[in-house]
Amino acid sequence: MTTTDNSGDVRLSGIGKTYGSFTAVHPLDLTVPQGSFFALLGASGCGKTTTLRMIAGLEEPTQGTVHLGDQDVTHLPPYKRPVNTVFQSYALFPHLDIFENVAFGLRRRGIKSVKKQVEEMLELVQLGEQARKKPHQLSGGQQQRVAVARALINHPKVLLLDEPLGALDLKLRRQMQLELKRIQTEVGITFVHVTHDQEEAMTMADTVAVMNAGRVEQLGSPADLYENPGTTFVANFLGTSNLIEAEVDSTSGDDLVLKAGGGKLVLPRARCSAPATAGGKVLVGVRPEKISLTHADDAGEIPEGRNRLTGKIADASFIGVSTQYVVESPVCDELAVYVQNVERDGRLVPGADVVLHWSPAHTFGLDAAQDIDAGVETLEEEAA
Amino acid sequence: MSTLTEAPPPLASAAPAKKPPRRRGRLTPYWLLLPGILWLVVFFALPMVYQASTSVQTGSLEEGYKVTWHLATYWDALAEYWPQFLRSVLYAAAATVLCLLLGYPLAYLIAFRAGRWRNLIMILVIAPFFTSFLIRTLAWKTILADNSPVVHTLNTLHVLDLTSALGWTAGDRVLATPLAVVCGLTYNFLPFMILPLYTSLERIDGRLHEAAGDLYARPWTTFRKVTFPLSMPGVVSGTLLTFIPAAGDYVNAELLGSTDTRMIGNVIQTQFLRILDYPTAAALSFILMAAILAMVTLYIRRSGTEDLV
Repeated sequence: MTTTDNSGDVRLSGIGKTYGSFTAVHPLDLTVPQGSFFALLGASGCGKTTTLRMIAGLEEPTQGTVHLGDQDVTHLPPYKRPVNTVFQSYALFPHLDIFENVAFGLRRRGIKSVKKQVEEMLELVQLGEQARKKPHQLSGGQQQRVAVARALINHPKVLLLDEPLGALDLKLRRQMQLELKRIQTEVGITFVHVTHDQEEAMTMADTVAVMNAGRVEQLGSPADLYENPGTTFVANFLGTSNLIEAEVDSTSGDDLVLKAGGGKLVLPRARCSAPATAGGKVLVGVRPEKISLTHADDAGEIPEGRNRLTGKIADASFIGVSTQYVVESPVCDELAVYVQNVERDGRLVPGADVVLHWSPAHTFGLDAAQDIDAGVETLEEEAA
Repeated sequence: MSTLTEAPPPLASAAPAKKPPRRRGRLTPYWLLLPGILWLVVFFALPMVYQASTSVQTGSLEEGYKVTWHLATYWDALAEYWPQFLRSVLYAAAATVLCLLLGYPLAYLIAFRAGRWRNLIMILVIAPFFTSFLIRTLAWKTILADNSPVVHTLNTLHVLDLTSALGWTAGDRVLATPLAVVCGLTYNFLPFMILPLYTSLERIDGRLHEAAGDLYARPWTTFRKVTFPLSMPGVVSGTLLTFIPAAGDYVNAELLGSTDTRMIGNVIQTQFLRILDYPTAAALSFILMAAILAMVTLYIRRSGTEDLV
């Protein structure tokens, strides 16, 4: 795959979709470069599937254009677009066997000798033996692979995946994530993947766009999004974040000094996405695994220059590789702390007074004008 | 070896403790089936046996009928009334094809396009059942009457010249012709086509249409390769529900036809109720039943619906 080839680029310019008075997707610009594995991540109803369907041609955008490479496909019907979709729950043709399902796209384009290609494709997804079975005779994971094969055999410029792993159980999902990643690397086609599972998006994609309420909140590599979330939604939706309300006290060099409760916290100016002036409010964030926990008796041993908070352990759950603590602190009711189980301190039990401390470099700052709980997964969403 | 001796006692020792499955309630399904079975025995099986015995009787109304195993009645009935048999099959087939052609687009519309009008259209489809079959057929007599606007228009457009040349109508008349009978049959059995078609179309996952479009199928190809094959169960049951009663129907031919359009149903009716030749009537009934059964079996085999989900 040469880098100059851009025929597999997906370019969305000002694309938006409204249904009556409801705006499913606010006008958005997005470029997915050729050969990348791109994930649209968001909770249900955030507009990610609508965006995908507009690329596929299954949904007409209310405004804006869709380009594939240099071709404007905005008004082309799906059957004229060089893209293929792996549908949620697969949409395999129940009256056709696996072979004919996979051959469907080739036959529609008038290709006569499909046998060799179909057999090769079924080998790629390890379903050579199942060619003459009907879809309902296969397991969920096998059906999923048929759906991928049926789309990939057409060598689309872009492969669109609409929650392709949603119907699979956890173990199979992990397996298929790696499998899809392998296939993508092998065929080098641009993949656009829609999912609500942040772990799935981070495992598979090179670039993740986090969507919320019809807008792209933030776009970047998984590590970048995780380490430098730009909004409370991203901070809470991708993994867990501890967000603390603080007031800007002063600036010193490249750092901001903040007041939270009685203590002071240091935040590198570069890691603060909010405009910070003395006296202004910001939300200070830190990931639970970045925090170290020291018993209050040993507070003197904590190196200088680290951000500190005091608190009391409210709950501790041992989950093998780590222990997850919930700490009550004057600045925040529930601070999550994940501690690797390397050398466990027997004194760190519920009720113990502790000092939480972390490197200022691991601190990020967010605009305090946002909902602090945006993107926190509630139980109902989990069940949906 | 010592670890083996410490192994827990074999599981087999626990096996005898397993209780046999509970027997109570096992007969319940049969008790629940009993009323239905009784109904079928009294109102289906017994009359069938009675008819079968009637068909092999000889005698007359005055002297009474006796079972003489006179199987020649079947042969005689077939030899005399084969044109009416043939006509029944032809008319029923024509009506079935017309029902399919008219009903499919409507069922498709209701299933995929009607949106909030769906229930209203469904009610309109079923609405004719609220009035009697007979009344509706009589209404067609008015619609197709010689001086009716419909026939007048068809005459003005010279459509009847064409249909008369084909033998479907006679001169400038529609009433008392094959066309009138087929129209009546089509009208009366149309809902029996639409309902099963709708049911099977409605079950088709809309995403299959999207998937076909996504895989380069134009709308018409999507219909040919995905929608229509998946609606085959509806097509088969719809055609059966239309063809079978239409082949045995006599009301339409009686009210809308003439002596030249008599169907086998009319013959059976006349034999039973006017000529009172019960053996011939019973024999004709059995021949009709056997013929339909044979045709239906062949049809289901050919259409291969057992393969469909």
